[in-house]
Formats: sequence, structure tokens, C-alpha cells
Amino acid sequence: MKKLIALSATLLSLVIFFPIFYSISASFFTYTDFTSIPARLFSSAPTFENYRRAFTESKLERFLFNSLITASLGTVVRMTISVLAAYTFSFFTFKGRDILFVLIVATMLLPSDALLIANYSTIRSLRLTDSYLGIIATSLLAPTHIFMLRQYFKTVSPEYREAAILEGCSDTRFLTTLLIPISKAVVITLAIHSFSTIFNDYLWPLLVTNREAMRTVQVALTMLGFSENLDYGPQFAAITLLMTPILIAFVVMHKPIQTSVSTRFTGR
Amino acid sequence: MKIYRTWNVKPYALVLPALLLAVVFAYRPFVITILNSFHTVNLGGVRMQFVGVENYQRLFGSESFQASLSNTLRFTLFFVPTNITICLAAALLSNREGKLATLNQIFFFLPMAVGLSSAMMIIKMMFNPSIGIINHLIGSDIQWFNDPKAAMALLVIAGVYLDIGFNFLLLSAALRNVPKELVEVANLEGAGKMSIFRYLQLPLIAPSLVFVLMTNIKDAMLISSPVLILTEGGPFRSTQTLVYQMYLEGFKSGNYAMGSAIATVVFLLTFTILLSLLHLERRRVYYQ
Repeated sequence: MKKLIALSATLLSLVIFFPIFYSISASFFTYTDFTSIPARLFSSAPTFENYRRAFTESKLERFLFNSLITASLGTVVRMTISVLAAYTFSFFTFKGRDILFVLIVATMLLPSDALLIANYSTIRSLRLTDSYLGIIATSLLAPTHIFMLRQYFKTVSPEYREAAILEGCSDTRFLTTLLIPISKAVVITLAIHSFSTIFNDYLWPLLVTNREAMRTVQVALTMLGFSENLDYGPQFAAITLLMTPILIAFVVMHKPIQTSVSTRFTGR
Repeated sequence: MKIYRTWNVKPYALVLPALLLAVVFAYRPFVITILNSFHTVNLGGVRMQFVGVENYQRLFGSESFQASLSNTLRFTLFFVPTNITICLAAALLSNREGKLATLNQIFFFLPMAVGLSSAMMIIKMMFNPSIGIINHLIGSDIQWFNDPKAAMALLVIAGVYLDIGFNFLLLSAALRNVPKELVEVANLEGAGKMSIFRYLQLPLIAPSLVFVLMTNIKDAMLISSPVLILTEGGPFRSTQTLVYQMYLEGFKSGNYAMGSAIATVVFLLTFTILLSLLHLERRRVYYQ
């Protein structure tokens, strides 16, 4: 029984892993390997040619730069806004607090995909198409983040803050030297989540960018104009290059990733 | 009840950015979408004339929309159970100790590292009917992009691949939180694997399962990007979904009013389903 479970788990996990394996393997294919019948699993003559072409025949580094800039900028702004809001909602008492909180968190129920057309009009009338700000604008509010951070901050007694303020500590200092350090795990998990969400976003950046130079890498990937002539090599090289750092990070950090999810959704 | 002492500006200033974003990028577009769906809208996005429910009449009368609606519901119906079964199986099977189990677990959540468009490009190549590796490996000649049934199946496979990483993590974390002593006692008492799952693990992971179920339904009702990259709605509109049609109407045909009407239908559908599920959850699922 034990062996049967281990065997089926391994088989299933290999199936799930297959596309990643295939992409890595295909990035070393030669031009004819892609069209060979029967299809190949491994390159007939492993080559780095696809990687070289991905950089020389497209603006890959520019697309990567766009993605890194928007994802980092978006993450920083989004986390700042979320932390400030969650902090205020958990440590301050003020008129209308609960209504404002519900108002912000309830936006979870308005799926951004269904708001695409109206949001696009907004961005266009603000003249933000083809700009980094336009790409990140709709991801800056993260109601789930605010909700989770507040849950976490609530476990810290408000007396801590009151005592600190009495001793002459500012809100900024309380946040940066006490609250954020003790909530490090949650903050980091949410930041990683933000980064990968913005980095991997597809439809919105596709809509708000028209100029090739402003495309993010996930959008550009589907447009690398090689596939018409069954010339998939550079595309697979770009895909592999893009996922490798994240794959390595995931393998190295698998323990913290797994535990962070369990703390995130079970409260402790 | 505390007395609201602080009437100073500070707390308001601190939540202002979040509030502003909620208004500008959620509530205002929500209202505009609903308004637009009852008007004719010109190419500049300006409302021209109130037309009542005419847009909806045209919409529900059109074959294209009927196809989108039924495809979206069909996709949800196929995708959600498939995905939950596979993710749950992955979580249960890899809920063991040892190096191999860890490796299994890593493989199950690695798809999270692959971005949506990368994943879709890989799948598109792998499932190419003539030169793709999948047909060669399983020894078939399924026309993944030309046969309506196969194309829908492909979309389900793509959906599972996109969701498995995160859903696996959630379910496997929930399983690991089931107290080991309980499972051991059940084992000593002679309970089989099936009954341990049915009477012990399942009730304890129910909250996570409901969360996965709800996000899955929401994702399924809103699926668009995979359609855009993989099948472009084809063949013969057999994979055209609501949000994909909304995208076509709004951004390819410049028909904002129709697009807004579709968006409103999507809102209504997701609200109804999510609210009824929430209601069900309150009655049936117990949190510790």
C-alpha cells in the first residue's frame, strides 16, 4: 500500500513536472528538432543558439527590464498602501472606520477582468497608456493583502502602540522598527505574491501597451515573431530563461513557502 | 464600545490611497460598466443615448453570446471537479515523510513558477496535433485545436496546470495541520485509509476545500487569457468564453456597450454563485 501511494504520487508529479522539463529541453532544440516526426524529447545536437537568438533578434532585455521595473515598483507601492491601511484599521479608532474597511475589502467581489473595459477608458483618459504607471495602476489596491495584514496586526495589542507613542515614538518608527519586523513572514509572503502576480499579468499589460518598447516580457513572449515559421527555439529559450530563477528560488525555499501558506490560511 | 476620541486627520490620510484606488479602479468602473450597458456608447467611450435593455435583448438573442454563456458554464462544470480531484489527490498522495515525498511536493507546486503566458506557450507547442510531443507520447492523433470537444478538454488541462500549484499548497498545508495523533489513533483502531479520509481528514480540511472551490469557480467564470493565447475561442466558437467575448467586443470591435452588458452578466453570475456558496458554507462547514 505504502509503495503504491509513493508510486502513484511520483507518477502524477512527473506528469505535472513534464511541461517544465519539456520547455527546458526544447530550449536546446535545433530548428529541425521542432518539426521532426515523431516528436522529440531531447535535442539531436544540444545548442545555445536559441538563447543567443532570443537576445539578438528581439528586445528581450528591454521586455525583461519593463517587467522587473513594473513588478518591483508595483510591489513596493502596493505593499506600502496595504501596510498603511491595515495599520490604520487595526490601531486607530476613528469615525467611519468599519464602513471604510468594508468598502475597501468589498472590492474583492468586483473581479478586475470584468472591469477591463471601464478601467481601460480611465487609463486612456488619464493619458497613461504605454506608461509604467498605466501597467501597474489597477494592481495597486490589494484588498486581500489589507485584510490579511489587518488580521495579523490585530494579534498585537494596541497598548504596545499607546505605550510607544507616550514614550515619544512616532508612528513611522513604530511601524518600521516594531510592527513590520514582527510580521516579517506575512509581509514577505505577500510581497512575493504581489511581485509574481504583477510580473505574470497578461491581459491588462497587453491592453495598455501599444508601443513594442513598453511591452512586458509575458506579453512579448507570445508575440516573439518566430512561431509563424515553426521556429520555436528562441521562444522556448526566453520562456526557460524567465522561469529558471523562480524555479531555483522555489526549490531552495520550498520549506518556508509551504509553511507560509499554512500560516496564511489557518491563522497561526 | 469605545468613544471615538481621535477626530484628527491622520487615520483618514493613511487610508486615503487605498480608498482612492477602490473608488477609481473598482467602484467607479463598476458603476460605469452598468450604466454603459443601458446606453449606446461611441468609440471614445462616451455614453450617447439611453436604450433601456436593448443591449441585453440583442445580447441574449445573439448566437455568439449564447455560445459564450454555455461554454463558460460548461468549462466551469468540467474544470472545477477535475481540478479539485487532481489537487486533492496530489495533496493526499504526497502527504508522507521522506525525501521522495518532498520531491513530489516540490514538483506539484512548481507550476506556480511558470507565468501564465509561458505556460500557455509551452502547452500550445506540446499539444500541437502533428509535431507536438503529447500526441506522440500517448499515440493518438487528437486534433486539439480543431475538434470542439478536444479544444475544451485542452482548456481544462491548461486551467488545471495554472491552478494546481497554489491549490496544492493550500490543501497540503490543511492536511498537514490535521493532528497526527488523531490519524494514529484511527489507524490503531483499525480504520482504513478511506474512512480516515472520509471521517477525519475531510471534515478538518473542509474550510480550505471550500476556499479552493470558491476561487476555482470564480477563476473558471472569468477565464479569458488562456483562451486568447491557446484557441482564440475556436474552433467554431466552441471555446469562446464570456470574458473573452467581452474582450473581443470591447477591444476588437470597439463595441463598448455590448462589452459592458457582457461584463454586467459576468458580475451577476459570479455574485450569485459566490453568495449562494457562502450561504452553503455557513450552514455546512464548521471551523475549529
